[in-house]
Amino acid sequence: MKGSTGHFLYVDLSDGLTNSFCPPIDYYSRFIGGSGFAARLFVERGNFEADPLDPEALLTFSLGPFAGLNLSGASRFSAAACSPLTGHWADSSCGGNFAPELKFAGFDGILVSGKAKKPSVLVISDHTAKIETYPELWGLGVEKATATLKQKFGKASKTLVIGPAGENLVKFACIMNDGHSAFGRTGLGAVMGSKGLKAIVVRAKDRNFLAEDPMACRKLVSELNSRIKESVTLSVMRENGTAANLEGGVHLGDVPIRNFTSNFWEEMAEALTGSTLSEKYLKRRANCDFCSVACKRIVEITQGPFAIPKGPGPEYETIVSFGSLIGSMDLAATCKAGRICNDLGMDTISSGATIAWALEAFENGDIGVKECDGIQLKWGDINTIIDHILPSIAYKKGNLGSLLSDGSVAAAKKIGPSSQDYNVQAKGLEAPMHDPRGGGHGLALTYAVSHRGACHVSSPMLFMEMGACYYPEVGFDYELDPLSSENKAESAVLAMALGALENSACLCQFADREISIPEWVALFNSVAGFNWDIHDMIKAGRRIFYLQRLMNHRYGLRAEDDKISSRLLTPAVDGAPAGIVIEFEKMRTKFYNLMDLNPETGIPSRKTLVDYNLEIEADIILKG
Amino acid sequence: MEFWKDETEPIKAFIELFNRAKQDAELYEGLKKVNQLIWFDYTEDGPNCSFFVDCRGGEVRVSPGKPSDQPNLIMSLSADDAHRSWSNKLNPVMAITRRKIRVKGSATGLLKLAPKLKKVAIIYNDTLKDLGWENKIIP
Ligand code: SF4
Repeated sequence: MKGSTGHFLYVDLSDGLTNSFCPPIDYYSRFIGGSGFAARLFVERGNFEADPLDPEALLTFSLGPFAGLNLSGASRFSAAACSPLTGHWADSSCGGNFAPELKFAGFDGILVSGKAKKPSVLVISDHTAKIETYPELWGLGVEKATATLKQKFGKASKTLVIGPAGENLVKFACIMNDGHSAFGRTGLGAVMGSKGLKAIVVRAKDRNFLAEDPMACRKLVSELNSRIKESVTLSVMRENGTAANLEGGVHLGDVPIRNFTSNFWEEMAEALTGSTLSEKYLKRRANCDFCSVACKRIVEITQGPFAIPKGPGPEYETIVSFGSLIGSMDLAATCKAGRICNDLGMDTISSGATIAWALEAFENGDIGVKECDGIQLKWGDINTIIDHILPSIAYKKGNLGSLLSDGSVAAAKKIGPSSQDYNVQAKGLEAPMHDPRGGGHGLALTYAVSHRGACHVSSPMLFMEMGACYYPEVGFDYELDPLSSENKAESAVLAMALGALENSACLCQFADREISIPEWVALFNSVAGFNWDIHDMIKAGRRIFYLQRLMNHRYGLRAEDDKISSRLLTPAVDGAPAGIVIEFEKMRTKFYNLMDLNPETGIPSRKTLVDYNLEIEADIILKG
Repeated sequence: MEFWKDETEPIKAFIELFNRAKQDAELYEGLKKVNQLIWFDYTEDGPNCSFFVDCRGGEVRVSPGKPSDQPNLIMSLSADDAHRSWSNKLNPVMAITRRKIRVKGSATGLLKLAPKLKKVAIIYNDTLKDLGWENKIIP
């Protein structure tokens, strides 16, 4: 089998042991890698009864077959576990430079179990691994810890590090790769923290990538790389980052404002958009390994209250989370808030969203100065957020820090039912910075049915509704109207399969927009030798979608949990989508029918499970 | 062509559209900010079916044909799709994805004008009306 190494690393931190194992070979073509592979390995080796923060919980890092290939967009990978934030199966995707290095070091992934007696670092190099105790790193911010590790293990080593938030088990703690790219969502940094694992370091000597058909692979990769480099949409992203179209998004009503209470704020559009960031603060562009898009930003702010030295800058989600969502249009402040979240090791989306919920709770009188340690919460008061709230959350300090450190859903549960009305989430995961009322009604459906909760990268639905996808080979030639439910269930059926493929092959959703469906198949075949046709490939995507649904069923989720917050279904009061109703139930019912999902259990029939070769997995999962 | 009798008609309409858009302070400022030489290339519908907008140097000039300087941005499409696009009836992202619009150069400046397309469409429809081409307006 090519593309992958065939080896995973298993680490038991309680015993201080590491060993390598070879997963069954059929997992590779059935579950691909990344998100799908991690799910299958959990079914084999994980414990559904374990609390996400128990030593017994299993944390998996899993690469796709293309990690290490010099293809733009191919350097992502997945982390997966039962999420401490949502309480069910979840994964997160990260770009950067760790994935190729791990592949070159001889592993397709890492499974981490147990709990170290002392804060530790996992050190991986060419086919070997060891656990080193490193208590002096504990307590350090991500930036300092990363620099310390680079000093000790060499500048060329690649790192995964948690910050104080992960150590303190903040439920939306993230894991940072070299201080810039993040496994942001679903709180997997807390899982790593609960194991006493501060960091993973990898260094490889070899740079060999073995493809099944090297000639075909080289030719295809070269064609795709040129197309990605010349793509007009991606060159806009190169120029102005992932926030390049923020201004356009405001006019569509896609960009959330003050905890999703408004869909239009004209002055904010230009103040926060990507070209403004380029003009004012951009020092240079940065990229994930091998990617010519280089959508990442390196920024510097030399003066003012939000001055920060040259370093990682915010992407779209961070700009909106600490901009319009909390009622601010101060771009410099979003840069600083993003930098602080990175250093503390907290997901910028859930951080911004949880704080936005708190601002509204304060405004409504559901929390007061007592719960907020004597401070007044005000929309747009980014200074208080930066100076007080973010550190309070990361260190669980005071009433406000402890209230917010479990996320907005848990906080609202503590405060009372009226505050749950303005939780904006699905399955316990705070919604990202795309409002389905303006961004596209199909997004409401995919937020609801995604296994990880409200997530915009669990499927390419956002891009489909924008008009950026055209897949006639699999029947997707719709000209979708974002503000309608027409053809959205049909599109979501394909979107969820494609999303599972993207997150399992670990290809970047931006770069891979330039890859056609037949080219996807050719890529799998020339790299991994799957010998697929289009039907086989889509089937693999759907198989992974079904597997993750079965897992969440075991975690107690049912059809009734495939929903989103009422706020996102309440017609917008302003902007382009004002007054338009999302026909959510209609879309969801149709999606359920098309996917053969039981309207009560939310899982597919036995026949479908057999059709998708999931009988064994279903038996293991459902028997508990 | 579905909307045009010959290759001169679309160019007449589009140049008039830009001349009128220049009268609108917001659009004029927006165009100046683009700061590029843009060639709108509809030559698939006739060798003279094109015009250019020069937004460089704090001015906006519109002329028929191909510019003598190297354009910063070339937008190639059919004159019919251009008509749909100025009428705000063509999703530009969709049109680019389906290769109905082919773009060479940086489209960043133009992207900033995308939110103004609604306003442009109103001016465009007025232009068509005044040119006696009300029948070309897409409802
Ligand atoms: S497009 Fe951006 S996020 Fe995606 S792989 Fe390239 S640099 Fe990384």
